[in-house]
Amino acid sequence: MADVDTDRLAARRPLSPHLTIFKPILTMMMSIAHRITGAGLYVGMALLTLFLLGAAIGGGAFAAVSWIASGFIGNLLMVMIVWAIFHHLLGGVRHALWDRGLYMDPQGRELLAQATLAGGILLTLLLYIFKTLAS
Amino acid sequence: MTVATRFNSGRTGSGDAYVSDRSGSPHAQFMRLTSYALIPLGALSAWWILGLAGKTLEGVRAEIGRPIPALALLAFGAVGMVHARQGMDEIIEDYVHDEALKTRALVANLWASRVIAALWVVAILLIAAPK
Repeated sequence: MADVDTDRLAARRPLSPHLTIFKPILTMMMSIAHRITGAGLYVGMALLTLFLLGAAIGGGAFAAVSWIASGFIGNLLMVMIVWAIFHHLLGGVRHALWDRGLYMDPQGRELLAQATLAGGILLTLLLYIFKTLAS
Repeated sequence: MTVATRFNSGRTGSGDAYVSDRSGSPHAQFMRLTSYALIPLGALSAWWILGLAGKTLEGVRAEIGRPIPALALLAFGAVGMVHARQGMDEIIEDYVHDEALKTRALVANLWASRVIAALWVVAILLIAAPK
């Protein structure tokens, strides 16, 4: 009987974190963005795999994937995947710094959060410019 | 590593919680080690991936069919999908609360990540294979 009661209590216990009751702050947003870009890259890898398979098979298969990839949506997805790689990569570097006890004070972690956000966008832009110039 | 372990808890009763029962530290360490490898691999792969969208078939093969891009992309796909699987496991364990669904989602994630990695490797090998 006691077991059943504790089971019920456990099931009713609210789950943390309550996203809705916290004031949204940048470090929290970057933590969420890290997870979203991670999940997004999972999907992105699946889409890229389809593109690469098309290129590997060639002929009609490549014509099909290229038709999507060379359009607006394809280009946008490519840029988003590259941005997600950089954002997630910098988020990982941030965690590696924290693992070593660095930048854990309020100013430090705020700086890292800003650097992650700006760095991801900046690296994507730089890469886009370099690639455009190189081709 | 992240196979759901039934946990005997005094608080929730017997076997009523999914916990990382002694697999937590290896999981975190594994994510760290793979992420170190993924820093150079991810940056290099981003460089080769970005230009691919508008390219012709010859252009794609010229860009990533060379040995070093092909090897880096192979490693990126393999290491990346193991890392992605572990990360998605965490997401599933956090947000899927139905026990049966959670177990199924974890298995689906395992196989989805394996299929994506395998097809990625096959595709790169075919593109890089001497014609």
